Order: sequence, then structure tokens, then C-alpha cells
Amino acid sequence: MIANLIVGGLAAGCLYAMVGIAIVIVLNITDIANFAQGEMAMVTTFFAYWLMDGVGLPWWQAVSIAIVFGLVQGIVIQQVVIRPLIGGPVLSAIIATLGLNVVLNSLAGLIWGHQTYTFPSPFAFSPPFLIGGVHVSVDSVVNIAVGLVIIICMTLFLRFTWTGLSLRAASQNQTVARLMGVSITKSSAIAWGLGGLVGGIAGILVAPSLFLDTNLMSALLIKAFAGGVLGGLNSLIGVFFGCLALGVAENLTGAYLSPSFADAITFIIIIAVLTLRPEGIFGRVKVRKA
Amino acid sequence: MSAAADIIRVPKAPTSWSWGAALVGLCFLLACAAPFGLNGYGLYLLTLTEIFALVALGLNLLTGYAGQISLCHASFFGVGAYATAILTQKAGLPYLLSLVAGALFTTAIGALVALPALRLKNIYLAIATLGFGVVLQKIIFEWRSLTGGGGGLALTAPQIAGYELGATGLYYLTLAFLTVGLFGAWNVSRGRTGRALLVIKESEIAAGSLGINAARYKVTAFAVSAFYAAIAGGLFAYLVRYINPESFSVGLSISFLSMVVIGGLGTIGGSILGAVFYVIVPELLRGIKDAPGLVFGLLLVTVMVFMPQGLWGMVRRLARRSAR
Repeated sequence: MIANLIVGGLAAGCLYAMVGIAIVIVLNITDIANFAQGEMAMVTTFFAYWLMDGVGLPWWQAVSIAIVFGLVQGIVIQQVVIRPLIGGPVLSAIIATLGLNVVLNSLAGLIWGHQTYTFPSPFAFSPPFLIGGVHVSVDSVVNIAVGLVIIICMTLFLRFTWTGLSLRAASQNQTVARLMGVSITKSSAIAWGLGGLVGGIAGILVAPSLFLDTNLMSALLIKAFAGGVLGGLNSLIGVFFGCLALGVAENLTGAYLSPSFADAITFIIIIAVLTLRPEGIFGRVKVRKA
Repeated sequence: MSAAADIIRVPKAPTSWSWGAALVGLCFLLACAAPFGLNGYGLYLLTLTEIFALVALGLNLLTGYAGQISLCHASFFGVGAYATAILTQKAGLPYLLSLVAGALFTTAIGALVALPALRLKNIYLAIATLGFGVVLQKIIFEWRSLTGGGGGLALTAPQIAGYELGATGLYYLTLAFLTVGLFGAWNVSRGRTGRALLVIKESEIAAGSLGINAARYKVTAFAVSAFYAAIAGGLFAYLVRYINPESFSVGLSISFLSMVVIGGLGTIGGSILGAVFYVIVPELLRGIKDAPGLVFGLLLVTVMVFMPQGLWGMVRRLARRSAR
């Protein structure tokens, strides 16, 4: 029983984690909490669906093109909406992404309507793994694996490339980074592109288990933020584990304490954790001389 | 939050004092005369705008001045609405008394929320307050014997001194509260507290070294802004005459925050402009087929991209340019 609940929680948690990683890439580098991340991912997923269903491409091609589309979408949005706001109040940029959230949602509604679609998954018919007597769906295992691969790739990219170094510099201190010759607008564009790309992957992986409609991501977005805060927003692996922990905590409180208060209890746990560790479980305290 | 950039302190505008006062007076007179020129629905919208402006005023003290993000203001609004409604309908207290009592109760909750929030910043604070919002909304939902749960509460017209308060009466009551609220917020922002909050927003360390007790001021800011939201909630309950927990969701909290940012962080006039934007613009867009959401979202993005200091920042810039 408890093993089943934990596995189910992990499955939900890794959906949060996918979105959470995309959010944190943008948040860490640009300071902007992107409320449009979910809807950007939703549009990318719909684009992939259209490529398969409308154009007739096979899964792999459609998904690869859609992921590139996600990257381009992120860069375009950054250039049009975020770039003019660099250096302005951060809250203005956040509210702009909130507006973007509404725009993308109604745009998708206009193009694809409000019915639900079934998004195909190549693993839909593979039998579930049996680990210690518990059935684990292939989708969940793939999601967790892809999440870890993304984290490893991002970490390697941020640690060992010049671009990564400049992105990290921009995230630490924009003024000093600019003095060192790092272009803030460029690093912000790269961050948004990467966010769009990872978000697109997240959407495509999430869509088979939830149904594809225009509200695909709205439930995940807040949960992803909450899980990220729980784990600590300045470490990717922290966000990943925070989101997994959130999924498990929700399932366990729902089953053992009170199904109707599951959400509330989860948030109480988060608040309690934050009271003890204000930067999240894995977060490092940023020392600010200000 | 890059602290220094959020509010650009404008050097005192060269527009003369009397012009500003005349403008405020004119707006007040127009607001007083409005019930005579509007139909029922127009009056409802105007009352709603004033109620939201009241919330935005309080939230702006917290977010614009003290720099603390809150995503639980919809719940303060909701607790105020429920407390007022329950005290009036079930305990039989007079409407005005229960309005104030409900607001004081919510103020206490606001101060309680502030305590764990003292150590948190930015997104962490946003998520923690969002958590409080979810918890409060859930308590309202599950406390069925008192609140009616998901079925909500239907309310009868409130009475003041035996006189039944209709739509026009409620409008004038709201206007009175808004006027007092404006005066209060203006005083707070101009006075010692407002200055202290601005310093805390810029740097808590600097505030500490100036002898400002940051913790105490932050709790005060949370409490005061919860008070504003609760009064607005008590008025809202009797404007719509039906409340249910769904009306006080996270989405509404996000809307309140957007009002403050669209109007202009750290400005009094901005709070009102933000509320007007949020109520009136969707109303104007209702005629557009298919895509009111699309146009509203686009407007939201456009306003932010072209006026990062909000609508009030734009107004101020135009006023300065015309005065030159």
C-alpha cells in the first residue's frame, strides 16, 4: 500500500519536476519567475500533436521539431516581451509573463479549440516494470530518467562551457557581469530559449498521462513552483528532489491524514520547512552585501 | 527583486499643489454624482472597482512600499467577507460593527501570516503566502456548519440603523471607506512608517543600522494590508450578496498583485488605476467575439512592456512633460 502510494507520488512529482526545471533555468539566470512557462510548454505540445496528427510525421520527428520550436518560441518571447523590461522592476516582468500566460492560453484555444486530445506516447503499450512487487509505469521511469539527463546536461553546460560561465555570471550579478563583457540581453535570451526547450520536453512527456488540452499545465505550474521552493530554487537537483518530495507528500497526506486537506497540509509542510530553511532544503544561502 | 530599480523617486513634480488638489476634488465630486448618471450594472461595476481599489491600496503598502509579495490577499478578502457575513447574518450584529470586527479579526490573521514570512524573500515568500491562501480557503470550504462550505452563503440586504442599504447606499458606503482608506494610505506613505518601509525594501541591513525594527514594520505592513483587504471583502460580500469559497482563489490573489503592478508599485493613485484597469477593461472587451482573454492578455503585456513603472508612472511622466 505505502509502496504504491510512494510510487504514485513519485510519478506525479516527476511531472512537477519537469516543469520546475524549466522554470528554474529562467528564474536563476534572469530573476524572473516565468508564469507563462506552463502555457509555452502547452503550445509546444500542441505543435507536436499537430505535426503528428495534421502533417502526419512520425513521433520522433514531430517531437524533435517541436522541441526546436520550443527553443525558438522562448527566444522570440524573450526578444519581444522580456528584453524591453531588462533593468526595470522585476515584478513588472513577472506580471508581463502573467499576461503572456493568458495570451498563449486563449491563442491555443482559438487554434485548437477546447476539447481534449490523447497525446500518443511510444511507451503506451510497454508493460509496467515490477519493482519490489509494485507496478511502475514506463512513463514515470522515462520521465525521471529524462529529468535527470536534463539536469546533468544543464549542469555540464553551466560548468564547462564559456556560455555557461557567462550565464552563471549574469545570474550572480548583472552589473559586474556586464562590466566583464557578458551581454545581459544575450544571456537572458539563451535562458529563455533553454527554458522553452526544457518546457517543451516537459509538455511532451506530461501530455500522455494528463490529457492534452489548453489547461494542460495550469495545475502543474503552481505545484512546480511550490516543489522548487521546497527543494531550493538555486540548485537544479534541489528543485528535482523538491518536486518529487512534494508529489509523495501529497499522496501520503491524502491517503493517511485527510483526502480533502491534502493540498493544505502539503502547503503547511512547505511553510514549516521554509521557516526552518528559508532557502529550501538544498538551497545555498546567497550572501548579499546590500 | 532588484531593489533600487523598483521605484524611481521622482523629484517633486513642478505641477502646482492646487492643480493636484483640484483634480482630486473633481474626481471625488464625480464619484459622488455617479449614482445619478449610471444604470444598475454600471453602479455595480463602479462599486466593484472601488472595492478592488481598496484591496490594491492595502497590498501596495505591502508590496510597493515594503517590497513583500503576498499571494494570500484573496484569502484575507475572503475571510473579511465571511467574517462580516457570519457576524451579521448568524450573530445578528449591526452591519458596520461586524464589518469592522471582521476586519480586525483578519488583521490578526495577517499579523500571524507575517511571522513565518519574516525570514522569506521573493518567490519563497510568494509561495509561502500562496500556501497560507490555500489553507485559509480550505478552512472556509470545510467548516461547513459555519460557512456553508462549497454551497456558499446567500446574504440579505444589510441594514444600517434600521435603514436598508440598497445598491446606491452600498456605493456611498464603499466610497466613504475608499476615501478614508486613501487618506490613511497617503498618511502612512508620507509619514515615518512609509519611509521606514521604503528603506526596508531597499535594504534590511541599512534599515537595521538606522534603528528601524524591520520585523515589526513588516508585521505592521502585513496587518494593515490585511485590514484593507478585509474591509473590502466585507463590502464585496454585500455587493454580490452571495459568497462561496471558490471566489477567493489564488487566481484572485494574482489579479490583486497585477492590479498593483499595472497601476504602479509604491503609488497611491496607481492602486486606483490598477483596479479600474482590471474591472473596466474586461467589461469593454466583452463585445469582442472569441477573444476577450486574448486582448486583455495582450493589453496586460503591452502596458508592462511600454510602462514598466505602471500606468501611474506614465501619468506622472505626462504631467511633468506638460508642466515643462
